[in-house]
Amino acid sequence: MSYLSSLVVSGLVVGTMYGLVAMGFAIIYKVSRVVNFAQGEVMMLIAYISFSVALRTNGSMPLIVLSVIASSVLLGVLIERLVVRPMLGQPIFSLVMMTIALAVLLRSIIGLVWGTDPMRMPGGSAGASFDVLGTNIQPAQIALVGVYLSACAGIWAFLRYSVLGIAMRATATDPTVALLMGLSVSKLYRVAWILSATLAGLTGLLFANIYHVGLDMGHVGIQAFPAVILGGIDSVFGAALGGLVIGVAENLAGGYIGSGYKEIAGFAIILLVMMVRPHGLFGEKDIERV
Amino acid sequence: MRTKTFSESYRALTRLAPYKDAWGWYACLLLALVLVPLVAPAYIANYGTLIFIAATGAVGLNLVTGTAGMISLGHAGFLALGAYTTAILVTDHGFGLLPAMAASGCVAAVVSLLVGIPSLRLKGLYLAITTLAFSIIVTTLILEASSLTGGSGGKTVTRPDFFGFSMDSGPAIYYLALVVAVLTVLIALNLLRSRVGRAWSALHDYDIAASLMGINLRRYKLLAFAVSAFIAGIAGSVLALHLRYLNIDSFALITSIEVLTMIIVGGLGSVRGAVLGAIVITLLPELSARLFDLIGGSMKSLSAANAPELKGVIYALVIMVFLRFEPDGIAARWAHIKRFWSDWPYARQTK
Repeated sequence: MSYLSSLVVSGLVVGTMYGLVAMGFAIIYKVSRVVNFAQGEVMMLIAYISFSVALRTNGSMPLIVLSVIASSVLLGVLIERLVVRPMLGQPIFSLVMMTIALAVLLRSIIGLVWGTDPMRMPGGSAGASFDVLGTNIQPAQIALVGVYLSACAGIWAFLRYSVLGIAMRATATDPTVALLMGLSVSKLYRVAWILSATLAGLTGLLFANIYHVGLDMGHVGIQAFPAVILGGIDSVFGAALGGLVIGVAENLAGGYIGSGYKEIAGFAIILLVMMVRPHGLFGEKDIERV
Repeated sequence: MRTKTFSESYRALTRLAPYKDAWGWYACLLLALVLVPLVAPAYIANYGTLIFIAATGAVGLNLVTGTAGMISLGHAGFLALGAYTTAILVTDHGFGLLPAMAASGCVAAVVSLLVGIPSLRLKGLYLAITTLAFSIIVTTLILEASSLTGGSGGKTVTRPDFFGFSMDSGPAIYYLALVVAVLTVLIALNLLRSRVGRAWSALHDYDIAASLMGINLRRYKLLAFAVSAFIAGIAGSVLALHLRYLNIDSFALITSIEVLTMIIVGGLGSVRGAVLGAIVITLLPELSARLFDLIGGSMKSLSAANAPELKGVIYALVIMVFLRFEPDGIAARWAHIKRFWSDWPYARQTK
């Protein structure tokens, strides 16, 4: 029983990470119908930037967080402006390939600049670890869960109450009508990209503190796909929940079947879910008119 | 001067080559390709083999992604299935060349139905991620079944005999790859001009409209996946015989992306485009390495130390530039140039 519960607890902690990346993925998709296959690489790049900042500043936390937010905003704006905007209105295949190319590009640039060996974040995993249901939890993992919960609450409140959030939902429903109502749709797209890059960046920073910085961080981005697909690609909270499910499932598969099956548990789940519910658990079904 | 840009009958529209003298030129090309291993140094023939394998795979992927419009990020999985089937059958069970290749294609085609069945309900993006999931599952399972496949240690492949001929030489594999590539191109061209190909392009344009026109979506979607996977399996089989050593790392996501790059650069839905794209993308890393050497100095040491990263940067930039500025690929550019010369001096410089 304690084995099971410790698997579940650590699965939930990993799952919050998938959930955070998946939420960023879903926000962009919901608002602009663009799939960002480079979400994991954005997270990786920001983590590496924060790593460099940490080296220069002896791991001063406020400066690192500031650098994460600044680089997220910059990266979000740059990607939206240079990569995605010129491709809007093209077939979905072009958009998918564009963001895949972006992912390959970012990953290669990181390899060129920082090298391919994983590195330890200065000042990472400091402090004593807690014991939750027989599982060791580091303070950074507590912070991760905190960021996850506050991101869920914050985005819910943002979409529900703020003018910008309501405008985003309007754009998600119909960009043309939103434009006719006087909303600046391109500005909303930019906000969505910044928001999603910030989520990815914070996740990257926490990942770097819990584990290390390395090219295998892109793995989180890959595992976020099953999470977002499971929840339904246009449902932000479905994605957040999907992350938890995938995290627990892969930990259980790794614990009971064999460590090699950890990688594919999430994908096996979505293959099954896709056969039954082609739009994910909470995704909206498109109604097609001919 | 030929200005024949119209056709008078359905037969003329479905002809393989619009002009009779094209066959002569294709025969010359084929003769030149046959002569390559006899006159050129071995490393050029080696690139030739790689190009033929890449062209086979790209033509196969182009059927499902370019013509039928279903995005597949999982073709590396089919390639891996074909390669490992050949490796296991030939090395461990002493199969001959043809049965092993046929089995490779069939294994890939049968497994493709696993992806094909969700594809009946999925579209665009969901399908892309499902195929990605499929290829990750396949490569992980191959890694786990280490008693069959050698796992992370890789697997060596012996080359079988072909009716008494030993295939254990570079030129033999070159000719095998050439024959496979030519047959694949012919099969693809014939499929595209027949009922099946027309049904696929109808699916691509709008699947609901296609089904209203009496196209059996279930059959043609599954068929697209099966044919494409069969071809990818055969390509994997030839690849295994060429490399003589298989490692699961050669079938990662980047391989699927590489093949997608080929068909984007060449031109989606065009057989000629897939072949041209395969040539360009196979030679690109080598050409860029030469270029860096020419520039010399720090670039030279950079290209030596970080070859995989530079390859990634080059692929990414090539995809981005083509999607942005020439989404129809080299094939469209080729047709454009050809039309310019045949219409000259009345050609217009418009897109």
